[in-house]
Amino acid sequence: MDILIQTIGDIINADLGSPLAAFIALLLVSLAILGFMSLTAGGLSFIERRVAGRMQSRIGPNRVGPQGILQFMADGLKCAQKEDLIPDGADRLLFKLAPVLCFIGVFGTFAVLPWGNGFFASELNVGLLYLMSVTSLVVIGMLMAGWSSNNKWSLLGGMRSAAQMVSYEIPVALSLLPVILLCGSLSFKELIGAQGAMPWDWNILNSPFTFISFFIFFLAALAEGNRTPFDIPEGESELVAGYCTEYSGLRFVFFFFAEWANLYVIGAVAAAVFLGGGHLPFGLESDIVSLLVFFAKSFFMVFIIIWLRWTLPRFRVDQMMTLCWKTLIPLSFVMLFGQAITLLIYHELTFLQSIVSLVLFAICVLVGVKFVSRVLVNIKEQKYKMMHTLTGS
Amino acid sequence: MGLGNYFKDIKAGLTSAFEGMSISLASLFVRPVTVQYPDVDVKSDEAMRENYNGPLRGMPDNYRGLLDVDLEICISCKLCEKACPIDCILIEDVKIDKKQIVGRNGKSTMKMKSPIQFDIDNSKCMFCGLCVDPCPTGAIVHTNEFEFNRSDRSQLISRFVKADDRAQLKVRGAEIAIEDAKAKAEKAAKKKAEAEAKAKEEEEASKDQSEAKGTKE
Repeated sequence: MDILIQTIGDIINADLGSPLAAFIALLLVSLAILGFMSLTAGGLSFIERRVAGRMQSRIGPNRVGPQGILQFMADGLKCAQKEDLIPDGADRLLFKLAPVLCFIGVFGTFAVLPWGNGFFASELNVGLLYLMSVTSLVVIGMLMAGWSSNNKWSLLGGMRSAAQMVSYEIPVALSLLPVILLCGSLSFKELIGAQGAMPWDWNILNSPFTFISFFIFFLAALAEGNRTPFDIPEGESELVAGYCTEYSGLRFVFFFFAEWANLYVIGAVAAAVFLGGGHLPFGLESDIVSLLVFFAKSFFMVFIIIWLRWTLPRFRVDQMMTLCWKTLIPLSFVMLFGQAITLLIYHELTFLQSIVSLVLFAICVLVGVKFVSRVLVNIKEQKYKMMHTLTGS
Repeated sequence: MGLGNYFKDIKAGLTSAFEGMSISLASLFVRPVTVQYPDVDVKSDEAMRENYNGPLRGMPDNYRGLLDVDLEICISCKLCEKACPIDCILIEDVKIDKKQIVGRNGKSTMKMKSPIQFDIDNSKCMFCGLCVDPCPTGAIVHTNEFEFNRSDRSQLISRFVKADDRAQLKVRGAEIAIEDAKAKAEKAAKKKAEAEAKAKEEEEASKDQSEAKGTKE
């Protein structure tokens, strides 16, 4: 049930089955995706700023619209009014092309990204492979932006981003391999279909190897999406703004649009591949509910990414490369190997899988409880500090 | 760089990230400190309690904001003018009818003079408070007013004496000066007359004495 392409295609195909109709159907689908992507990116920019504010004991944007929810529209309008500057000595063609490439790289992923159990813009049997390859366009866009700006910071930022993203694509792909082994497919539909509703039926808890793979995937995807702790290409304190230093107005917006949309892409891929898609237990599952569950899961992942950004400091360039080449890549190879062996063992001893999954689930719950207790202690401590240091009483 | 260090590093990274994440999540559940400044009157505790529920309270009493002068109790001693390290206070004064005033510290003093010009240039003032300390009646004080952006630099000079008052004080001051001069002249004349009278008396006394001597002889 490829809901978007087929429903729209069905409506038009019923009238005429010409290439023109197909083109119109595709156009409608991409417009719908564009609308979804803009709203997601805009909404995420607002959420990120509010969460950042609260984590720093500020309020965050709260002036435009109720509780500042229209802030991203105001920002977009402001950027649209700005002069579109192209620096002297810049390579004009590449300079104009770079933001578009970055945008396409992220926009293309929405073609295969699931929106629920049966909701896809298009069903591709090599969905994951396509997603991995189309996001590589972003690297080219960033490198292009850095090179064409004729600016030291931009060039450094572009080079760093190329080095970083090329390196981190390897652990992303390798950490997805155990799950592909497990489900035997690259299509998102089958990846979601292979998982169950309860947490211990999810791919993440299948074995310790998929469990660690999930964290490797998460870290590497963070690095690929240029998020703090890995935001070296645009580290403000070192490179002004990295590859997008010279950009202004709408071209600048394109970069950030792509970045925030990419945030959602990371969350959605994690939710679909590892966290069980939109399944819901106890027979509650339906199309609309799976949509909501899937959004909840992906936005929870997005929240974790935002939360990490305002907690951890930035890595040094060499530390980041060390982490990738000396930690994540060897570890993900081990995970791939381990998962292959685990699959053989599970094949012989089928009861073992549910035991391992339940044990992993219990460990997760224990860690969660410990975490919540730490949070409660910290809330108390922060409240105490606030009342006794700021008021002087 | 053994395998032990490798896993130690991973463990250290995970545990510190765990604790850091718990701290930043906890701060989501603590009220923000931010005061929405133009919406909330930050000057008083009451207004802050009403419109803001964070831990901060109104501005402290010893806040050194714009200077204010109470001309009723200013005795124009010019101590503040002398204390000012950057000479941003300008005082000119005239004599007035004497009157008893009670200073801010409760002591009563006789007020002999009153300023006809008391200007403080806020564009120069550095809010050090050195003028406030020596004031004997407590006439010059810091308020907690901190909003003083103006459209023109000349508007930054606070002129405490109004033009009407100045004119009145000047007229009265001139009258007092004339009266004083008159009184002084009268006093001088009186003194002179007294002195003359005394001299005469003494002369007469000496005459009398000599006469008495003469009669003795």
